[in-house]
Amino acid sequence: MASHAAGASAGSDAPHAEVVSMGQTNPSPYPPLASSHQAWSSVSGSATVSWNNQADKPNQDAVYYDPQRDVSVAGGNQNVGVSASHAAQSSMGITDASHSQLPYSSSVPRGYNPVEYANYYYSYPQATNDSSVQQGANQHPGAAYQPLTSFQNSGSYIDPTSNTYYNAAGHQTVPGYGSSSYYYQNNTWNGGSSGNNYAQSYQNYSSSDTNALQSSTSMPANSVPYQQQYNQWPYYYDQSVPNASSNQVAGNSTTDTVAVNNPSGYSYSNSQPPPPGTTPWRSNSVASVAPPMQAPGVSGPQNQYTNQAQDHNSNQATGVQWSQNHYTYQAQAYSQKTMNLSHAPLSNPEDQQRTAAPIGPSSNTLSNHVSENFQPNLQGSMTTNASSESKIQIPTNPRIAPGFSMVIPKSEKKNLGADLSKKPAYVSVSVPTNDAKGTQVGPDAVMFCSLLRLGNIHRSIPFSLRNYTIRNLNRCKDDAQRTACTRIMEEIVRKAIADGTILTKNWDTEPLLPLPELGVTEASDSDKEQDLTKYYASATALANSPEEKKRREHRSKRFERSQDSSLKSRSSSANKDAMANMHTRRAISSHLSRTYEEGTRAVEDMDWDALTIKGTCQEIEKGYLRLTSAPEPSMVRPEDVLEKALAMVETSQKNYFYKCDQLKSIRQDLTVQRIQNGLTVKVYETHARLAMQAGDLPEYNQCQSQLKRLYAEGIKGCYFEFSAYNLLCVMLHYNNKRDLLSSLASLSKEAKQDAAVKHALAVHAAVLSGNYVLFFKLYKKAPNLNSCLMDLYVERMRFEAMKCMSKSYRPTVPVEYVAQILGFLRTDSEGCTADGDDGLEECEKWLKAHGAVLSVDSSGELQIDMKASSATLYMPEPENAVAHGDATLAVDDFLARTS
Amino acid sequence: MAAYLSMGEAHRRIGDYLSRVVNAISSSDGAALASLISVSSAPGSTPLSDALAAFPDFPRLAGDRFPHLADLLVPLLRSIHSHSLQRFSDAYSSFEKAASAFLQEFRNWETPWAMEAMHTVALEIRLLAEKADRELATTGKNPDKLQAAGSFLMKVFGALAVKGPKRIGALYVTCQLFKIYFRLGTVNLCRSVIRSIETARNFDFEDFPVKDKVTYMYYTGRLEVFNENFLVADQKLTYALMHCNPQSESNLRRILKFLIPVKLSIGVLPKRTLLERYNLLEYADVVTSLKRGDLRLLRQALDRHEDQFLKSGVYLVLEKLELQVYQRLVKKIHIIQRQKEPAKAHQIKLDVVVKALKWLEIDMDVDEVECIMACLIYKNLIKGYFAHKSKVLVLSKQDPFPKLNGKPV
Repeated sequence: MASHAAGASAGSDAPHAEVVSMGQTNPSPYPPLASSHQAWSSVSGSATVSWNNQADKPNQDAVYYDPQRDVSVAGGNQNVGVSASHAAQSSMGITDASHSQLPYSSSVPRGYNPVEYANYYYSYPQATNDSSVQQGANQHPGAAYQPLTSFQNSGSYIDPTSNTYYNAAGHQTVPGYGSSSYYYQNNTWNGGSSGNNYAQSYQNYSSSDTNALQSSTSMPANSVPYQQQYNQWPYYYDQSVPNASSNQVAGNSTTDTVAVNNPSGYSYSNSQPPPPGTTPWRSNSVASVAPPMQAPGVSGPQNQYTNQAQDHNSNQATGVQWSQNHYTYQAQAYSQKTMNLSHAPLSNPEDQQRTAAPIGPSSNTLSNHVSENFQPNLQGSMTTNASSESKIQIPTNPRIAPGFSMVIPKSEKKNLGADLSKKPAYVSVSVPTNDAKGTQVGPDAVMFCSLLRLGNIHRSIPFSLRNYTIRNLNRCKDDAQRTACTRIMEEIVRKAIADGTILTKNWDTEPLLPLPELGVTEASDSDKEQDLTKYYASATALANSPEEKKRREHRSKRFERSQDSSLKSRSSSANKDAMANMHTRRAISSHLSRTYEEGTRAVEDMDWDALTIKGTCQEIEKGYLRLTSAPEPSMVRPEDVLEKALAMVETSQKNYFYKCDQLKSIRQDLTVQRIQNGLTVKVYETHARLAMQAGDLPEYNQCQSQLKRLYAEGIKGCYFEFSAYNLLCVMLHYNNKRDLLSSLASLSKEAKQDAAVKHALAVHAAVLSGNYVLFFKLYKKAPNLNSCLMDLYVERMRFEAMKCMSKSYRPTVPVEYVAQILGFLRTDSEGCTADGDDGLEECEKWLKAHGAVLSVDSSGELQIDMKASSATLYMPEPENAVAHGDATLAVDDFLARTS
Repeated sequence: MAAYLSMGEAHRRIGDYLSRVVNAISSSDGAALASLISVSSAPGSTPLSDALAAFPDFPRLAGDRFPHLADLLVPLLRSIHSHSLQRFSDAYSSFEKAASAFLQEFRNWETPWAMEAMHTVALEIRLLAEKADRELATTGKNPDKLQAAGSFLMKVFGALAVKGPKRIGALYVTCQLFKIYFRLGTVNLCRSVIRSIETARNFDFEDFPVKDKVTYMYYTGRLEVFNENFLVADQKLTYALMHCNPQSESNLRRILKFLIPVKLSIGVLPKRTLLERYNLLEYADVVTSLKRGDLRLLRQALDRHEDQFLKSGVYLVLEKLELQVYQRLVKKIHIIQRQKEPAKAHQIKLDVVVKALKWLEIDMDVDEVECIMACLIYKNLIKGYFAHKSKVLVLSKQDPFPKLNGKPV
């Protein structure tokens, strides 16, 4: 990738950074602003710096994750698998890449200093900037970013996992750690997007591997990423201004990382003002920062979105950054991970990085990347980010605030008295940098496009607005929300266009649309006017106040009301799932590969427990969908929920197809979580009974075979009842004598005393000797659901009986007698008159349908002429027969089910 | 004993064994080779196994001396060694390696001189697998060696069931496969092998060795019992019985164990002496019940030997004899009635049958008995018809109770 010149400088970097940061930051931001506006191409070395930062962030994520990961997962071999995936992923979308990186991180040998890496990257930037500056920038971001991290953490409030890693890192609080801070910085800065994403991926990953440990957290984890993204954007664009402030405060860094954002220009304005503001920020502890973060970031959709967004917006530039981030991330990961693993397939982190980079997104992007990034670097400071975040909170909710124009001024005010510099930034902002349409590689491209329809029409839509849109959409948890969100966004954008504020508004500081259930914090409108510090202090409290909750609820309802299934949102969710699946799958495959590498462990020795997931889904109702990939814990219900689901199905009034669908999904959830206990037996028994009642033999058989296994393992259930079913099923529906023999042989003495089993054995005897009278007698007094299985045999038995009777009886047999012995009459033979007529008619109909010759004798009784009938009996084609043999696959049936 | 063995002596014995094996191969002496490679029949301690115990470096010895046959000899020695130490699972694994190497060699030999050795390999691998599975089962592991042996033998079968002189050895392997499949309960796997044996146009079945034919017929006959193709089963089992070595009583008994139920189901009853001679008295009551028309006795006999019959797979066949017992019962009633009132000999009142069954303590109501009568007529066990109105079974004047005469019900 870059020249190694950086290596030498690495050692000196830290000091440099500190020194430089003080002086340089302020001046640097401005120039970049101008340059940025002019052209992306202007990219200088600084750009690389930003990259590094980004990279670092991911690394950080990796770091915290690592501990967890290590604990849960033994091996670090994952690298290999990951790397492969990496390449593929990079092409796919940024998110993937990030995920893949995680493994890398694990593999990375410790020996590497993050700093070195930074330098390495920086080498590019150096051309324009001083190496010292760059380094400083890196460090600086760390300081500045800290707030960001804290934000993430705040997000983590929700997430247990995020917290954990946070703690582990611990860096955030300290501004200039040197290398460690580095990572942090990067993390924060990247933002959100990359860093968080990684984090997420980790979580997912870990969850899949370890099941128990992280699965519980997976849900929250998701939310975290969202937040991060959110943060990220602001940083990106806005932040350069804050940098200045941060510089002052922190004094450490030159702060460039943010620079990338500049293109949008918004960021400039914001960032510049704040020297004063920064200090306060600084003063704020992580915790304080966190609350604000939460508010905006509450819902964070996944990385994918951001990635897409970048692709679209910035074209190559953004895309490149991403890619780079990933790579850098890897590198850092190495350094960090070293702790964990000694392995080292990729002994040289550098090498890997190099290779990775090319593999990653398009190669062109890299070059572009560098240049572009440059500008941002100068401007952006970590601190800014913090400020920007605060800003975010400040701005009014678009919905709430009637006019966008209104919002902008407010945000400015809030920005701690955005300085003059900001204003220019605004102006410059108007330049839209994007149309990255062409470059979009990601699978989500389509939906993104659709989301930004407006944007496409008006090419001038600012980058930041797109990001804002994406941010909002990403927070949505489901399609309904997403569609609602899309609508609202369209409205907002339309309004903004009409107002002419579209280009002047600071979208990056625009509060996200509120979403329900994400619970942590949300910036409320009332906060807008508050002093920032006040705001922070009160934010947490507010978030949980009943008032706020109410409001949130109200808002969420609004979302739900506007349901509309727009294709885009659908596809986005699908993509999300696909991504998640990919991750888990990768995790598993890497786990497998690891186990293979560890030695000659055979498949049966594999620790499947480590691969079993624990579900977190709380939905009671869930349709069945055949898994085509590793299960996603967020889609799987834990045992207690499954119990409720079973109860729901049992009491449901809906038809069999619905229940079958539900039960299949319950079974699936049980299977993927490897739950085998009384509940499992109950579910299968319930399903088997329902299937019998519906005459669904294939489904019944699935349940029966599972039950057989479960009973054999000693799990209690209705063993005798199902032994009887099994016997009946084998003898009546499977003409396999050996199966019947083994079923008979497996019956215990006690089982043979059971009424149901006895009944089944009696049926067996009746069928064997052709004793149809006995068969129908048994049919009438069948215990449990034995009659359901016999039901399916009744037609054949009746026909056999008629054939037999037509051959053996002469001359005639009254229909009534036949109706009685063949079970047409509902009552016992003694009381056949009770509702005899119904049965008689039915019997007559049946006889006619099967070709029997009927006649009325002298006494007026309907008789069957047996001799005549013997030649004419036939088995009619079933009325609902279909050519392909499975009536349940018939169109009519399908329509009947779905209607 | 092994302790007394000097290194040199051990070395000499192993070398001797190896050279005998190699000589047998080079001189195409199939019988000698076969005797040399039978592992499982060896007692716990042989001169060779002692030598192997005393000279742990034997794999290198074999490898060094006969590098071209190392793939065969090294695992073979290992297998012999493991077997002498009662480590059957290890012995099996090694032997399978040796067998694979041998099969490879065997494929390349144009003449079937080593057929005897190949058969020994096929037998040994099955026996070792059975031992190994027993060992695995007792140690709580998954006994999967027999299955592995089955798949290996399929390879052997593939090498033998080709055009040419080697085909004559295919039936032996088929029989080994049958034994494995029957033991594993995966008899459906037999089908492909049978098809390949029976559809071959270029090789007459009669050209196979008799012992293999008998074994083959025995197993395929059993398969037909499962499928309730009694005629074919009778044919095959009878063939096996006729060609079986008359000295081999246990084999005759095995065949009869299935042939008797098959014969019963087609109306042929064995003499009691036969049952006694081959210790098949579990069928005695069944035969008696058929003779007497004693349904109760049949049910009792089935009940008493249920486990045995279920295990061997003849339970369902014997259960089906019930209709024949009914027939016998009606026939007896008919005979008595003919003596009592010859005029109405051909009209049997249903009540009489019901009463007879009551005496046998069989609880059936009139409808059920009527149904049974209808079934007897339907299945051609009784000629005649049933008059529902008068509840009378009207028998044909001619041969009202036709004999099955080799036809199943």
